[in-house]
Amino acid sequence: MNKLLITIGFFIMLAAQWYVPGIMIYDQEAALTEGTAYKFKTQPIDPNDPFRGKYVWLNYEMESVKSTDSVWGYKEPVYVYIRTGSDGYAEATEVSKVLLDTDQDYVKADAGYYHNKEVYFELPFDRFYMEESKALDAEIGIRRTQLAMRDSLAPVCYALVYVKGDIAVLDNVFIGTVSVKEFVEKEQADEASKRR
Amino acid sequence: MSLKLKRELDELIEAKVISTEVSTNILKYYASKKTNNPNKLFAIFGVLGSLLVGLGVILIIAHNWDDFSRTAKTIWAFVPLLVGQLFVAFTLFKNKSAAWKETAATFLFFAIGASISLVSQIYNIPGSMPSFLLTWILLAAPLVYLLRSHVAVLLHLLFATVYACNLGYFNEDQPWWYLLLLAYTLPHYYRQIKNAPTSNLTGILNWLFPLSLLISLGAFVGGNDSIGFLIYVILFGVFYNIGKLPFFNSQRLRTNGYVLLGSLGTITTLMIASFKWVWDDYTSIMVSTQDIGILIVLGLAAVAIIVYLFLKRAMPSFNLFQYAFLCFTIIYFTRFAQSEMPVILTNILVFALGIFAVRIGARTGRYSVLNYGLLIITVLIACRFFDTDISFIVRGLLFVAIGAGFFGANYLMHKKQQKQNILENE
Repeated sequence: MNKLLITIGFFIMLAAQWYVPGIMIYDQEAALTEGTAYKFKTQPIDPNDPFRGKYVWLNYEMESVKSTDSVWGYKEPVYVYIRTGSDGYAEATEVSKVLLDTDQDYVKADAGYYHNKEVYFELPFDRFYMEESKALDAEIGIRRTQLAMRDSLAPVCYALVYVKGDIAVLDNVFIGTVSVKEFVEKEQADEASKRR
Repeated sequence: MSLKLKRELDELIEAKVISTEVSTNILKYYASKKTNNPNKLFAIFGVLGSLLVGLGVILIIAHNWDDFSRTAKTIWAFVPLLVGQLFVAFTLFKNKSAAWKETAATFLFFAIGASISLVSQIYNIPGSMPSFLLTWILLAAPLVYLLRSHVAVLLHLLFATVYACNLGYFNEDQPWWYLLLLAYTLPHYYRQIKNAPTSNLTGILNWLFPLSLLISLGAFVGGNDSIGFLIYVILFGVFYNIGKLPFFNSQRLRTNGYVLLGSLGTITTLMIASFKWVWDDYTSIMVSTQDIGILIVLGLAAVAIIVYLFLKRAMPSFNLFQYAFLCFTIIYFTRFAQSEMPVILTNILVFALGIFAVRIGARTGRYSVLNYGLLIITVLIACRFFDTDISFIVRGLLFVAIGAGFFGANYLMHKKQQKQNILENE
């Protein structure tokens, strides 16, 4: 192959290899700094990814919204319009197959099924990556804490998500007022002191 | 080794078998051969080292260092990528040896994975495994042609297959990108076949291409109907006939993955289809249009290869294995006329293939093919014991007969070869 072609090809490859992670970072940073923060009530479950490490899989309470349209394809991309409800957590107001002419924030999601005049959907930001020793403890610890307390006193577990246009960035997961990382670290420290 | 050789040569000079000049020439020849060998070893160890380091970096990143700030982690995401790219630039522009290129390509391949892994992790970017793998494969794809790296081709094929399986199996999605990824490597494969037909790497690719296709086919096929059997038998027919193309047919059998996979695959699939329950369970005639499309494309490909072989006069004698897929296609459709028919005809076809393999083995004097044929017949008979009510005596007698057949056929061939040797010596 021509040396010039190889050189051009090499620099295009280099640019692509920087552009892809670069644009990923740029989009996420833009949403984190300029986007609106929403709290989504959730429950964590611990799975594993061979390349990207351990994460807690988040099962959101907000999973359906009323709709008069009854035809929704499985995994069909949809726009779920959201606002902060009276309790301070995100709530879905509307779902649409196309972008609506409104300033209201939305998150992209996959449609699931239609039942009882409600469309069920799956929110995309369902992975919260954690340090490998903390992911499973986060799931167990949060479930135990919530079970130990009465419903009204149990701390709410929620995900803090920044939304800007198409991009929704999962920034952190909280249990009550503490981040899940701090929660697990405290739990692990308590366990260690008990053993001593 | 060289010391031993030198001693042997000295002994030969002393015994006046060879001259000092011949001895020097022999030593020179081995010395020049030796300079090539360390390069190969260097390539193998370099690639292994890169592979381990690359995977190690990914695992270290997967730990998720949550005490680092987001900025620190982001910088770290690009460190392996930068190192890999500098390494590749150095080998490319300094025109380093193939060993360097292979090592650099392997390292950069994994550095790309590490980089996008870490960015996904830092920002909790959602994304399924297939989309992650696809981004990774596409970003690393230029390495195949820029560095002409063989390891990059192997990794590309391996990851493309994993991608296809991840997306297509137990899922309604179709991994269409897989076909593009596979097609992307074909020019490299073609060049390899042209320039180094007998090299080990060509042999590996001769196995890897059909294996990748075989594994990924299931990701495209709906497969809840016995049409799946037909599709696979036709695919094996395509493989077998590709393996019979003059280029592949002239290779050693063990490097001809097409013929071996085609033959073994045909026999295995037909052996399964020879059971009655297979046809009883899959009575549905609801077949997706995509399955029919795949069936037609594969069928046409197989027929086109046979026509090509005819035109090139590359079919010296009739070989049933080349037409097994056509026979099974006819058998498949007889089920609409009579439900028992396909079972009986498939059994006859497998038996005929067994006999045919014995015949080929006997004619070409290859014990392996002869015994392969006998094995096909034995397994077929053993399989029939599971779904037929034959008395123990008959079963026993059949096995004794087959065993005797094994002895007899091998003995007769041995005799024939001995006779030939005597004739040749005379």
